[in-house]
Amino acid sequence: MKVTAEEVRRVAELAELAVEDADLPALTAQMDRIVEFVAQLQELGSLDAAGVFVAGPAESPLREDEPKPGGLARPPAAIAPEFVDGFFVVPRLGAMEEG
Amino acid sequence: MTTWETVIGLEVHVQLGTRSKMFCACATSFGDPPNTNVCPVCLGLPGALPVPNREAVRLGVRAALALGCTIHERSIFARKNYFYPDLPKGYQISQFDRPLATGGHVAVESPERGLLAVSIVRLHLEEDAGKSLHDRVPGKTAVDLNRAGVPLAEIVSGPDLRRPAEARAYLVTLKQLLVYAGVSECSMEKGSLRVDANISIRPAGQNRLGTKTEIKNLNSFANVERALEAERGRQQRELENGGVIRQLTLLFNAGTGQVRPMRSKEESHDYRYFPDPDLPPLALSGRWIEEIRGELPELPAARRSRFGARYGLPAYDAGVLTADRAIADYYEAVVSAGADPKAAANWVMTESLTGYNESGRFSASAQSLAALLALIKAGTVSHQAAKKIFLELPADGADPHAVAERLGLLQVRDEGALETWVEEALAAHPQEVQRYRAGETKLLGFLTGQVMRRSQGKADPKGVQSVLVRKLESK
Amino acid sequence: MTTALRDVARDTAARLRAAEPLNATLHWAPELLDAEADRAERLEAGASLRGMPIAVKDNIVTVEQPTTCGSRILTGYTSPYNATVIDRLRAAGALIACKTNLDEFAMGSSTEHSAYGRVKHPLDPARVPGGSSGGSGALVAAGVVPAALGSETGGSVRQPASFCGVVGVKPTYGRVSRYGLVAFGSSLDCISVFGATVDTASRVLRAIAGIDPRDATSVDRPPMEPLRMPESLTGMTIGLPREYFPGDLHPGVKAGCDRAIARLRDLGATLVDVSLPHSRYAVPTYYIIAPAEAAANLARYDGARYGNRQGDGDVRALYRATRGLGFGPEVRRRILIGTYSLSAGYADAYYNRAQAARMRIVQDFHAAFDSGIDLLFTPTAPSPAFKAGEKTDDPVAMYLADIFVCPASLAGIPAMSQPLGRTEGLPVGGQLIAPAFEESRMLATAALLERHLDAAAEVR
Repeated sequence: MKVTAEEVRRVAELAELAVEDADLPALTAQMDRIVEFVAQLQELGSLDAAGVFVAGPAESPLREDEPKPGGLARPPAAIAPEFVDGFFVVPRLGAMEEG
Repeated sequence: MTTWETVIGLEVHVQLGTRSKMFCACATSFGDPPNTNVCPVCLGLPGALPVPNREAVRLGVRAALALGCTIHERSIFARKNYFYPDLPKGYQISQFDRPLATGGHVAVESPERGLLAVSIVRLHLEEDAGKSLHDRVPGKTAVDLNRAGVPLAEIVSGPDLRRPAEARAYLVTLKQLLVYAGVSECSMEKGSLRVDANISIRPAGQNRLGTKTEIKNLNSFANVERALEAERGRQQRELENGGVIRQLTLLFNAGTGQVRPMRSKEESHDYRYFPDPDLPPLALSGRWIEEIRGELPELPAARRSRFGARYGLPAYDAGVLTADRAIADYYEAVVSAGADPKAAANWVMTESLTGYNESGRFSASAQSLAALLALIKAGTVSHQAAKKIFLELPADGADPHAVAERLGLLQVRDEGALETWVEEALAAHPQEVQRYRAGETKLLGFLTGQVMRRSQGKADPKGVQSVLVRKLESK
Repeated sequence: MTTALRDVARDTAARLRAAEPLNATLHWAPELLDAEADRAERLEAGASLRGMPIAVKDNIVTVEQPTTCGSRILTGYTSPYNATVIDRLRAAGALIACKTNLDEFAMGSSTEHSAYGRVKHPLDPARVPGGSSGGSGALVAAGVVPAALGSETGGSVRQPASFCGVVGVKPTYGRVSRYGLVAFGSSLDCISVFGATVDTASRVLRAIAGIDPRDATSVDRPPMEPLRMPESLTGMTIGLPREYFPGDLHPGVKAGCDRAIARLRDLGATLVDVSLPHSRYAVPTYYIIAPAEAAANLARYDGARYGNRQGDGDVRALYRATRGLGFGPEVRRRILIGTYSLSAGYADAYYNRAQAARMRIVQDFHAAFDSGIDLLFTPTAPSPAFKAGEKTDDPVAMYLADIFVCPASLAGIPAMSQPLGRTEGLPVGGQLIAPAFEESRMLATAALLERHLDAAAEVR
């Protein structure tokens, strides 16, 4: 299965990664190479019976419902690129607008 | 001319009433200064990890049991991947193909079709996103992450509703069930209950579902109904004009009553769900599930029916008294304290509820109210007087008799006193007396009123009537 | 104030300064070293790592030092909380020496993919130290610190340990808390330890291991036992998986392994042949699962709440510019591959299939250990340290450097590398792999082998 430039663009949009037009051919070739490499797994045939491997404990621990302070050594304002009146600030929604 | 059938399904998100968030120990309290209930986990800082809240799981299970669902002893948290300013990790921890519960139903009274069993396809646990504010900083988006990570249960109904009014009835019933079960406040105003509605139409008799649209940003049950009416109309006009329904997400404008598509592209999202590798499977023992089932109170439908049977109440009254679990509990306490069920029902539905709806509490203790009702029944105070006494009863259970005494509202039943007032009244109205004796027996009401006036309302009206009749009929 | 620990701080500062040409460190400061010394001074004398300076890979968050993950997107980011392992190291009396350079977001096998320049191999600056924990490995090999923390997702401590000629230990998945390790492949990530000796690495691992209520994937196990070197390996069966000894194995690597195998036999172990038939699928499986998890783990780097912000326009322009400019080419490739393999229409062919293949690899190991094998022995890397620039043109060529280390990561079982000798002056490493939670068995065997092997000797 060949990876196309169009697919690379679509995936880049899903991942919110800017890809320059000039870089697209080389990137598409690299992606295609990687996908071709990992497609070896098709050789394994039907795999349903194998089941899914869970690394770590078999069950999740659960936490008691006790509120605690956040334990931050410095407040959000100190790490935020833009912080006004207690809020994180990012640009207007624009293309992401939900109305 | 086509007859159209409407098909509606609802997705409801409720905030579970825990004290801390779904995956971290930050407080869930509402209305705190922005970005003060935050920590590395809910801020999505590099290196932070989620750990699930036991109480959120308990409430989720309890909600699912109240909805008659099958609880899955193993369920899996999954990442739902998308980008948005109030989603700190760039994914939401939710559940996908292995949810907490599936296969329940809710009995809803449809205005036109009678009792419906609306199917609950699934209930799953997930975390809430933060809040984006668009008018806080001009030209920019302000983000408050206090709400990010608050536990939610998502409840998805089957496409079983056929009218906007049924959708509203479903929401009322669902809210009542969840509030009874004590899992959420379910307040649309406060955002602890949110509704997304899906609607499609098809020619009556067709099996295949039409293309559905989704309506978001609904802020009241009434607006859910209005929005669905508006969208049904729009779809019908579109199809009748030879157009086609596109799968869109729409927003409802409460002011204009119109729906309009969101500006973003109409393609469906590719959320790329996969099991969250930071969270091993959620495992519930059969024993814990049964323990949680034991925490469920008698649910509204069962309680309504029992009120009808046990207390002889008509369906409407039983409905009002069980609408809210607190009201039902109060009513039963009043009856247990010795009050007559019907008298108690009437009083609670009128006087008590007025106060409760305003203040959220019952002004009188159950014992006091029962005692007051007994005084009315015995004729010790009149109904009117009782209303005044009721307003003076403090919540800590004073004795209504003492209050009546203090206010001088005890009814006079002493024969001698009554006779005196009656004689006075009869003497003052000789024409009416004559007319009564000539056959106008309905003047009894007028004469009774005159006696009551002379006694300044203190005479026991029943006693007055019997003395009056005796005196009028002798001679 | 002059104390013994302040002397250690000063000595470490001098060594760090002298090692600057390696470009192995990203942040350190004499004042911070002094503060660590003072903190350790206040502990009781019996603390297990008292006074040991330890370097920390710059994808483990610290409050006092920045954490960049070797990326431009986190330039200047200073975490408001410490990773659990930092607290545990300090509780044991260790001194956090510095933050070390790494392949960006731990994605790489040579430490050439850092936004802050590549790390140079201590024995030959034209060569790579391995990766992604190349900075940590280089500092231990250069004698700057006796131990360092790295992280492994697909071999990123064992492989640089092999290239640099030091000990590198990856514990069982869940043995060490991941709280504060910047996530790359969450079901694979393990904080791991470099040590100048097996004993040092073992002591550091014991100090940081243990369940953490803040990490739901950490496991509840009794504390690890102290290293107890056996007298001999009599009674131990060591398997040699044939898939790890291909006919075209690098002759220097082969010579190093042959010498070690002979030594293990001399020490009394029974060496047996075994097959792990799905081994060849490990690298492709890894390169589907790890990027898929990484794509989601790196979605939070959008310039909104922290880090280096770029771009103007609307919020989407912010995300795309921040991420497009802030991530290097290897990270971008992996995010794209990861997103691709999870996307609608491809998830079954790639991601779901890889998860099933992973189970097969796990079952291969279980079968081997169930058949009476106590440990597996293999080469760690298919070659000694390669030259910088040699493998950066073809991403897949770089991925194949992980061919021997990646399977144990997929299975979540403990594995380690120790130096076996040198080939043309470059170190060669050998790997031991143990069943889950059997670190003690693995470390004890390694310690005995270490005693009986001259790791600096030329083998070919």
